Amino acid sequence: MNPLIPLMVIVPIICALFLNLLHKKDRTIKIIAIILALILPALPILANYGLHYFGGYAPLIENPSLGTDLPSLITGTALNTFHPAITYSFQSAQKLFVFILGLVGLLAVFTSLFETRRPSGVYGYMMFMGIAAITAVLLTDDIFNLYVFFEIAALATVGIVLVSNIKGNYETALKYMILGGIAAPMLLLGVALLLGVTGNVNITDIIYSLKNGLVNPQSPVLLMACGLIVFGWLYGSGLPPFHTIKSAVYSKALPSGAALIQAFSVFTFIALGVIILRIFSYLPFSQWVILGVSLLAMILGITMAILQTDLRRMIGFLAVGELGYIGIGLGLGTVFGITAGLFQAVNEVVITAFLFIGFGTVLYQTGISDTRKLGGMMVRNPKVALLVLLAGFAMAGVPPLNAFQSKLMLIQASINAGLPELGVIMILLSIVTFMTFMKAFHAVFLRPKPADLEIKNENIPKATIIALLVFLVVCIVFGLFPQVVTSYLQPLATNLGGVV
Amino acid sequence: MNLYDLIVKKIKDIQGADDETPVTNISTSSMLTAEITLISSILVALIMLRLVNKVLMIVAVLVVLFTFLVAMPLMPRFRKEQNDSLAAMMFYVIVALAIVITLFYWGNLNV
Repeated sequence: MNPLIPLMVIVPIICALFLNLLHKKDRTIKIIAIILALILPALPILANYGLHYFGGYAPLIENPSLGTDLPSLITGTALNTFHPAITYSFQSAQKLFVFILGLVGLLAVFTSLFETRRPSGVYGYMMFMGIAAITAVLLTDDIFNLYVFFEIAALATVGIVLVSNIKGNYETALKYMILGGIAAPMLLLGVALLLGVTGNVNITDIIYSLKNGLVNPQSPVLLMACGLIVFGWLYGSGLPPFHTIKSAVYSKALPSGAALIQAFSVFTFIALGVIILRIFSYLPFSQWVILGVSLLAMILGITMAILQTDLRRMIGFLAVGELGYIGIGLGLGTVFGITAGLFQAVNEVVITAFLFIGFGTVLYQTGISDTRKLGGMMVRNPKVALLVLLAGFAMAGVPPLNAFQSKLMLIQASINAGLPELGVIMILLSIVTFMTFMKAFHAVFLRPKPADLEIKNENIPKATIIALLVFLVVCIVFGLFPQVVTSYLQPLATNLGGVV
Repeated sequence: MNLYDLIVKKIKDIQGADDETPVTNISTSSMLTAEITLISSILVALIMLRLVNKVLMIVAVLVVLFTFLVAMPLMPRFRKEQNDSLAAMMFYVIVALAIVITLFYWGNLNV
């Protein structure tokens, strides 16, 4: 048992509760938020790999003394190996994911505290609750527990949009909740069907039941469960048909909030995608569905991004399009492909947060995100312009930045898997991504300043510049030393690639 | 009327602008890029049907290419469909649910 594993979820929850209670005590909120946000990326670094059983109930097989007085009906069957407790699994991939989530959370909290005159305890509550929920989604091996935290993350997302005070935010939040009202119960129904067939909510035990003939894998109820869980996955990650509302959600949040929400989407995508591959790998059809949906997300997301005139909406659509790259890696089903997909996920979280906060400086200074009304920001902030330019290069996959490595790996993986067409589409869409970014960059930084453009805040907070520099360092380090990241992802990919 | 003029007209329709309001170079080139990207990506993706059947792939590519040529420009229509209207979003969510469930339930049982 490793006490640091549950602390990764408990610490942000406690911080969220404190921030909410101390709302309006500005200085205290700032201090608590900074200290606890600093702990977020530190915890996964300090924690050892292992499992954590809530309540301390390990499987009987791990504690034979408990089973001495029990009938053979329990000790002599699969029940002996089943997990009676909610189990959290912390391995190398989770270490990296929780670290990156913590880092993005830290920098988003840091930025939000210094970009607002009065830090909001409620906003901090939403951010930390979301981080706690997504950490739990990444760690849990219990599919019902995952659903509960999936819903908490959705509510935190809505909360982050509601407190942004951006025109139209209430309407967008309401729409997101209404659509969630259709999709989330479908996910729950899928979980319920799985429980009904296998009698279990622990994912490892469900897989054991399927592999060892305890249940019929071809049961129509299981097929229905798989379909419903895939549908929940589309909603949670913002894949089509939820790409429109997801990009709207990003555009109605503050830049720090949008940076965090996109991280929630990517990690939900990964967590549910991995579960679909683990449980339903015996259905080759599930891989094709992942590939098809990912391809659609890439094409729709990136073609819609280039048509946008609102900066935040444009990045929102680009973020949806980039999700497709991750899905292609997972859908290929090979060890190399899955590693590349997971690597792309890590890179996307960092780069999209980099772009949201980078372009957020323009919003901070002008209060405008419509590219048609902006211009001349390069003269005012050449250093920030350079940082944003590098963020755009990273997203498009320009060497030596991180997404270049992951996209190259994805293209190689698709060729190795006998699907070079996917590689061609990925190259084509990367070029369009680059063009989309350059269009926005030109409009905001390079074009002459419109006469009626007012600058509301002259100076960008140093905290924001520091956050951008940290993102840049991560992009460069991951780009120059990709093996540092892939070595953490390889065990999970090997595990998944072995079963697919 | 060539494709460029058609796109400019469609942009004006979407913007609700009259003939006097200028359509910018940026919006037109963006729409053209999106159009070309959409068509080329779908056509390249259809080549993957070769794994199922080569004849099917050729037929699908030709049919889709012909449909695209007839229906061009596509992007303005796509953009109209992907708006922020709750009714449109709900419609596509329900359609997606029906497709996913049908594919998983009957697809896996009968294929």
